[in-house]
Amino acid sequence: MIGKHARRHFAVSRCLTAKAPPARRPRERVEIPGFEMVTYGERMHYVPGLAKPVYPQWERDYKDPRHYKTPPAHQMPLYKEKPCYVYNQRTSALEGVRQALWLTKAKLISGLPPRLLSLAESPANQIPDQDERVQNAIKHARFWDTTEDRPCKEKYSNTLLSNLLHLCATLQSRHPAIGRRILAEKYSLATTWKRGEDLFQVRGQNGLLYNCMDPLPEVSGKQEVGDTADHVLKSFYPVSPSIDLQKVHVYKEEVNCSGFREGYPYPHAHTLYFQEEGDINCKLRPKQFRAKMVMFAFGNALARAHSLYGTQPQSVLGRPITVQAVGTNGRLFQFLVFQLNTTDLSGDNGIKNQVWLDEDVELYDYAKLRPLIKKKQVKVPAGLAGYKPETFRKFLALYLHGAV
Amino acid sequence: MMAVSCLTRALRSLTVSQPALLSAQAVTQTKLGTVVPCTGGQCRGFLTTASLDQNRTRWKQTEKYTIKPIGMKKTGGRDHSGKIRTHGIGGGHKQKYRMIDFQRLHYESDREPKPFEEKVVEVRYDPCRSADIALVAGGNRKRWIIATENMQTGDIIKTSGVIGRMAVSANEGDAYPLGALPVGTLVNNLEIQPGKGSEYIRAAGTSGVLLRKVNGTAIVQLPSKQQVQVLETCVVTVGRVSNIDHNKRIIGKAGRNRWLGIRPSSGLWQRKGGWAGRKIKPLPPMKNYVNLPSISNNTT
Repeated sequence: MIGKHARRHFAVSRCLTAKAPPARRPRERVEIPGFEMVTYGERMHYVPGLAKPVYPQWERDYKDPRHYKTPPAHQMPLYKEKPCYVYNQRTSALEGVRQALWLTKAKLISGLPPRLLSLAESPANQIPDQDERVQNAIKHARFWDTTEDRPCKEKYSNTLLSNLLHLCATLQSRHPAIGRRILAEKYSLATTWKRGEDLFQVRGQNGLLYNCMDPLPEVSGKQEVGDTADHVLKSFYPVSPSIDLQKVHVYKEEVNCSGFREGYPYPHAHTLYFQEEGDINCKLRPKQFRAKMVMFAFGNALARAHSLYGTQPQSVLGRPITVQAVGTNGRLFQFLVFQLNTTDLSGDNGIKNQVWLDEDVELYDYAKLRPLIKKKQVKVPAGLAGYKPETFRKFLALYLHGAV
Repeated sequence: MMAVSCLTRALRSLTVSQPALLSAQAVTQTKLGTVVPCTGGQCRGFLTTASLDQNRTRWKQTEKYTIKPIGMKKTGGRDHSGKIRTHGIGGGHKQKYRMIDFQRLHYESDREPKPFEEKVVEVRYDPCRSADIALVAGGNRKRWIIATENMQTGDIIKTSGVIGRMAVSANEGDAYPLGALPVGTLVNNLEIQPGKGSEYIRAAGTSGVLLRKVNGTAIVQLPSKQQVQVLETCVVTVGRVSNIDHNKRIIGKAGRNRWLGIRPSSGLWQRKGGWAGRKIKPLPPMKNYVNLPSISNNTT
């Protein structure tokens, strides 16, 4: 009997339970055509037996920016019937790199291309005291950069990346072409392309971009590019390739923006640097992180191709566009080279783009503050352990590519 | 809060001022043809009490389906009045609710209503039930379903709503209507009315048996040996539900029961009545969920 009437809620100190009172069905309002509803609206107070008055929705006749309600999607001016699938910086693709390869119509080659590997090995392109300076950089990022015990992952991966970039930039005296490059952050990329019957877009602020005045030289010759036409893209039925992509009906068609305006002195994208901990709300697993690298490298290359050759799909580009990408989580590095050979992405046949991916390359094994002791024996000593110099040589090779 | 704001809004209009703000209302008033004697201003009626905005069950009232786990609110066996309605529930580890799609034959909004396949992405433990759940992906969507016994990551499972003339040789984990399955298959996730979603045979290790098919209906034996007659278009999954060793587990200690949210029962010795003790009685009659005229009623 108590629960039937509306009660005022006094108790705020006791814990509130999770069940709500049973919902009462509101009285049904019956509209009989031809009859006027007698309401208590004119009487200004509730009268039992009369209907509740219904007033028309009041609309503000002037525009007030503080009280603005966005119209529903189908009333927006840019609404389109055909949906568009957008890959943004928080997308975590279910199938990972396979999905990214299908979307970008690319062939995967594991390992870096031979020219970059030879660049890495040649002793002429080394920094004086390279190993010692890199180890100092790692120690600064992992141990010395904080007043607390240890810096958090986001902080140390950021510091490590900037230290390594600084080290590479010290070679400017030997290779003056490095001076024709600049780093850019927080730029928004947008490109559109058609794949099969669907429209796809890559959008978002992805990472640190290394821009250059001159384009990167192509990595593979015409023969290899022609051979990719025989390669068959791996399909992952029954999952559709647009899974996990954001489906939008309100979008601008043919949006192509490399993030910079016309007349920017450094128009060519050289290398993208991704960090795993960039976005707190988005935690990407390794496969999804590599997929993100592939998609955004492709996005940058496609934006450049559209501005150079126009938006019409071209089956073979006269000069393939190369973009590099490096992703890190502070210890593991992923190196990627993407070569855009074609912008004709609607069919599955024809020349494909190429992706060279070197995954999970360790820079060092352990960077521990306190030694790992098992059964009174030191298994892993404190400090930096297991430094691998090859990784930094690859990093340096990707940096110097185009300048040597 | 709402009551206070309503009050202030109404009282503000009651102040002795030019009724120019409420000109729209005055216009509507005059249009109706009556002139209301206003006592110090025009105002709509207001309530002194607002509806109690309790968001206690709002966590389970979202219409949009998502695979993200949702935080749950525990009831402790209490109902809306705050008193215990069910004893023995309370405490236990915090649990997050994963929205399970019990309607296996759920076509995606864009695609045609044809049989489709899905890939099992992950099979994991669900704190809210005894069975394991599987994340399956097909087309453009992902959803959680109850996993069957031998479901592994990477399996392809088929869902179909078509009843052919020949019975289908079903693999474990696939979902077919009862009319398409051979008699004697082990089934789970049975739905009583086609399209409603499965409500029976969902617990760990359980399975029903398809006994016979009778002109447009099928008879299934539930794990409690009770038999039910349902329409043959009801979709079921084939096989046993996952986590078959669930009934063989040993709790071991009182603490583990408390972790599961089970509070101890009252220790008071109470005289048991006629309900207690072993009963041997015949099976209840078959429950019929089909409103069909029986075969014996042959209309002339």
